[in-house]
Amino acid sequence: MTTLKSDLPQGTLDLLILKVVALGPLHGYAIAQRLQQISRDVVQVPQGSLYPALHRLENRSLLVAEWKLSDTGRDAKFYRLTRKGRAFMQEETNSWHRLTAAVGLILDAAEGEAS
Amino acid sequence: MTWLGRLLRRNRVERQLDAELRDHLERLTNDYRRSGLSEQEARRRARLEFGGLEQVKEECRDVRGTRWLDEIGQDLRYGLRLLRQSPAFTLVAVASLALGIGANSAIFALVDDVLLKSLPVREPQRLILLDDGSWTNPIWEQVRARQFEFSDGAAAWSDVRFDLSRAGATEFVEGLWTNGSFFDVLGVPAVLGRTFTVADDDRGGGPDGPVAVISYAFWQRQFGGEAAVIGRTLTLDRTPFTIIGVTPPSFLGPSQGRSFDVAVPLGTQAIVRGPRNWLDARSTWVLTIIARLKPGQTAEQATLALRGIQPQIRAATLPQEWPPPMLDQYLRDALTFVPAAAGPRDFRTRYEQPLWIIMAVVVMVLLIACANIANLMMARAAGRRHELTMRLALGASRFRIARQLLVESLLLAGLGAIFGLLFAQWGSQTIVRQLSTPRSTVALDLTLDWRVVGFTALVAIVTALLFGVAPALRIRGVDPNDALKEQGRAFAGEGRRPLGTPLLVVQVALTLVLVMAAGLFVRTFGKLATLDIGLDKGAVLVVDVDVSRTVVSPEARLNLFERVRAAAAAVPGVAGAGLSLITPVSGSGWNGPVEQPDRPDLPPRQRMTFLNSATPGWFTTYGTKLRAGRDFDAADAVGAPAVAIANETFIRRYVKGNPLGQTVRFERGPQGVKPVQIVGVVQDAAYRAVRDPIPPVLYLPLTQAQAEENPTRLSLSVRAATGSPVLLTKSLAAAITEVDPDLSLTFRPLAAFVDGALVRERLLAMLSGFFGGLALLLAGIGLYGMTSYSVNRRRAEIGIRMALGARSSRVVALMFRRIAWPIALGLVAGGALSWWASRYVTTLLYDLDARDPVTFIGASVFLCAVSAVAAWLPARRAARIDPARVLREA
Repeated sequence: MTTLKSDLPQGTLDLLILKVVALGPLHGYAIAQRLQQISRDVVQVPQGSLYPALHRLENRSLLVAEWKLSDTGRDAKFYRLTRKGRAFMQEETNSWHRLTAAVGLILDAAEGEAS
Repeated sequence: MTWLGRLLRRNRVERQLDAELRDHLERLTNDYRRSGLSEQEARRRARLEFGGLEQVKEECRDVRGTRWLDEIGQDLRYGLRLLRQSPAFTLVAVASLALGIGANSAIFALVDDVLLKSLPVREPQRLILLDDGSWTNPIWEQVRARQFEFSDGAAAWSDVRFDLSRAGATEFVEGLWTNGSFFDVLGVPAVLGRTFTVADDDRGGGPDGPVAVISYAFWQRQFGGEAAVIGRTLTLDRTPFTIIGVTPPSFLGPSQGRSFDVAVPLGTQAIVRGPRNWLDARSTWVLTIIARLKPGQTAEQATLALRGIQPQIRAATLPQEWPPPMLDQYLRDALTFVPAAAGPRDFRTRYEQPLWIIMAVVVMVLLIACANIANLMMARAAGRRHELTMRLALGASRFRIARQLLVESLLLAGLGAIFGLLFAQWGSQTIVRQLSTPRSTVALDLTLDWRVVGFTALVAIVTALLFGVAPALRIRGVDPNDALKEQGRAFAGEGRRPLGTPLLVVQVALTLVLVMAAGLFVRTFGKLATLDIGLDKGAVLVVDVDVSRTVVSPEARLNLFERVRAAAAAVPGVAGAGLSLITPVSGSGWNGPVEQPDRPDLPPRQRMTFLNSATPGWFTTYGTKLRAGRDFDAADAVGAPAVAIANETFIRRYVKGNPLGQTVRFERGPQGVKPVQIVGVVQDAAYRAVRDPIPPVLYLPLTQAQAEENPTRLSLSVRAATGSPVLLTKSLAAAITEVDPDLSLTFRPLAAFVDGALVRERLLAMLSGFFGGLALLLAGIGLYGMTSYSVNRRRAEIGIRMALGARSSRVVALMFRRIAWPIALGLVAGGALSWWASRYVTTLLYDLDARDPVTFIGASVFLCAVSAVAAWLPARRAARIDPARVLREA
C-alpha cells in the first residue's frame, strides 16, 4: 500500500473532502473511508491529518458540523457542505481541471519532442 | 465566533475535539477487529494509522486559532505564581499602581463630568444660553412672549433655597424657580406623575394650585421612593405645595455642580414671597434663560433673530429707578446666545483650569510610578537572567519570552486598576465634598460609568506598556550562550547596561515639577488663609435670623431684630453682637454708584461702591478697627441727619481732604440720590470675597433704614469672648427662641464662609500637596530600590575594595556617585519643565510668582534631601559588608 501523503498537492485534500461531503452529511471516519474507496486506495491520507483540514474548512464556513446519533449508538460529528462551500468547490474543481489539462498538454508535448 | 466567545467555550470545544477523535479511533479499531485481528493488535494498528492523538489535537487547535489563548492562559498562571513568590515586590508595585491609576480615574471622573459631558437631556447640543448671565423676570416675560420667533422654545430658572420646616429648626432644600415649559424645553420627562404645564406657571398658581416637581434623589431621600408621593403636600417657606411629579435619576438640575431637590413654577412666587417677590422687579437679576434651537439653526442665527426684537424687549423692561447713563447702556447692551450643551458655564469656568492642572499632576504621578515599576521589573529580569537565557537556550522564541514579561506587566497593571477604581470612587467623592460651601452644596454625578471604567482600562494598558516594554526589549540583548557562562562571574559589576539611569532622570524631573507645584499652591493657600482681611474670622458666629414665619408687622420688625440682638449680647460668653444686612464674605452684596463731584464724566460702573447696613457695635464684633471718627450710636435714628461710615478704599478713591464731616451722595433705589455725612472711617475689611482686592464700601446705620426696606432676614454676628464661637450655638438658640419662638435661625461660623471663599485654592493646595508628597515617596522608593539593587550586584566588588583597604566612607561615596549625575540632570530638566509649565498656573497663585526662586530652591533642596536619605540607607549597608565573608563566598 503506497502512502501518497507527500504527493498530494497543496490544498488538494480540502477539495477532495468537499467533494466527498457534497454527497451528504458524513462523520470524519466515513470521510476517510470514502476517500480511500473512491480513489481505490491510491489516495491514502494519514487519518489524523484529516481533522485539521476538517476544522479548517469548518472555520472558513465551507462546512458546518452537527452532532447526531450515529450507527454506533453514540453521537458523532457530521459534516455538511454549506452553500459557500459548494460554490468554493465548484470554483476549485474548475481551476483544477484547467490546471491538470494544461499540465497534461505540456507533458504530452514534451514527450513528443523528445521522441 | 469571537475570540472571547471561544475563550469562554474553550472547555466545550476541547471536549468535542476529544470525543470526535476518539470516535474515529474506535471505529478504526472495530474495523480491524472485525477483519480478524486480536484486540491488542487492532488497537495498535489503529493508533499507528491515526497518528499521535495529541499532535492532531494541537494541529486542530492551531487551525482554530485558540492556541495563543492557551499560551496566554499559561503565561497568566505563571505570572500569578511569580507575583505570589515575591509578595513585597507585588505589594509595592500594585499599591503604587493603584494610587497612580486610581488618582487618574478619580480626576478623570471629575474632568469628564465637569468639562466633557453634556446635560443628560434630549439633544443637548441644541441648547443655547442667553449670554451666560442673569436676567430679570420682566425680561424673561418679554422673551417668553416671543420665544418662537428665534427658537423652538425657551425656558428660565433661578436657584433658590427653600425652608422645608413647618416649625422649629430650619431645614433647607435646594430649589428651582422654573417657568412652565422648563422641563419640556429641556426634554426631561417625569418618571412618575407629570412635569409642569404652562398653566401651572400662572401667577398665584395654576388650576391645580401651587405644584412642585421633585428630583429622583429627593424622592428617595425624603419619601423612600414611595409611589404614593404624587398628590402629597410639601411645605416650602411656609407655603403648601402639591407634588405632581418626579424627574429621572440622571437629571440633577440645569446647572453643573448643583443638584436640585424641588422645582416650583415662577408664578407661585407671588404666593410664597407675597409683596417681596421679584416677578415685576426690573433690576433683580436672578434668572438664567436657555432656549432650544430649531432643527438646523445655529446659535448665531438665533442671536440675529433675537437682536431683531431686542429694542422692544429692552424698552418694555427699562429699570425705572436707574439714572439715564445706565439706561443708555441698558438699551445698547446686545443680547447674545451661546451654545450651552452642558448648561451654564460658571462652575466649569471656575474649575476648568484647576482640574486640568490636577489631571496633569496625576498623569505625572503615574509616570513616576511607572518608572519605578519599570526599574523593579528590570531588576527582577536581571535576577531572572539565568532562567530566561536557559529558556532561550532550550528553544523558546524571544517573542514568547517578551510576551511572557508583558503579560506579567499587564497582570500588575490590571490588579492596580482594580484597586485603583475603588480608590477613585472614594477619592472623587471626597474631592466633591471639599467643594461644598455654606452657601452651596456641590453635587456631581459620579456614578461609575463605562467612560470612567474604559478610561481606567486604557490607562492600565498604556501603563503596562510603559513599564513592561523596557524589560521586554532587554530580552533582545540576551545571548543564550551566557546562560552557562555567566554563572561563574561572581565578580561581575553591573555590566555594560546599568539599570534605569534615564528613568531616574525622568523621575527626578517630574518629581521636582510636582513638588514645586505643591509648594506654590500650598503657599498660595497659606497666604490667603492667613491674610489679614480685617475680620476676626476665628471669633465670630453668624446667625441668619428670618422673621417671615412670625406674626410681627413690617414696621415692628426692626424692633424685633434689636431685641434678638440684645438677647444674644446678654448670653454669657458673648463679647459683642451686631446686626447687618449683608454677611461679609458670604458672596452676596449690594452696590450702587456714588456721585463724584470732581469727575461727573466717569461712567456709573467706575463709580460703584458697595453698601451694607449695620448696627452700633457691629465693627467691634468683627474686630474691624475704626481709623477715624466714631461708630454708629443710638442718636443715629430715623429723623436725625443721615450718616455713614466709609472704609479706607472709599476715602482713597472718592474723598479729598479730611473725610470726617464731608457729605457724599449716592444713588439709592427708588428714593433717588441720597446725601449722607461721613462720621467715621474703618479699616479695609473683606466684603464679598477673600481673594479680590477690597472694594470701596459705605456702611449705613441700620437704625436709619427706610421703612419700606424692612427686611425679613438679617445677619446677626456674635463675637465669642474666648474659645470657639460654635460652642455658643446652643445657648444662643435658647436665648433667641425666648424672644420669639417663630424665628428661623441658621448658625454658621464666619470661618466657614472664609473657607467657602477659598474652596478652589484649598482644593489645589490639598491635591497638589498630596500628590507632591506621593511623588516624593515614589521617587524615594525607586531610588532606594535602585541603590539596593546595585549594592547587591556589586557586593563582591565592594568586598574586594574593602579588603584592599577602602574605607567605608569611600564605599558610601562610590554608591552615591552612581546616582548623583542622574539626580543633577533630573533637577535641571525638572527646572526647565517647571519654567515652561509656570504659565499655566500664574492666574491661580496669590502674591507669588510662578517662577518663585524660593519655592524652586526649597523644592530642589527637599528633593535632594529625600534622595540622599533614600540612597544612604542601602549605601550604609554596602559599607558594612564584611570583606572576609564576600571573599569566602567567591
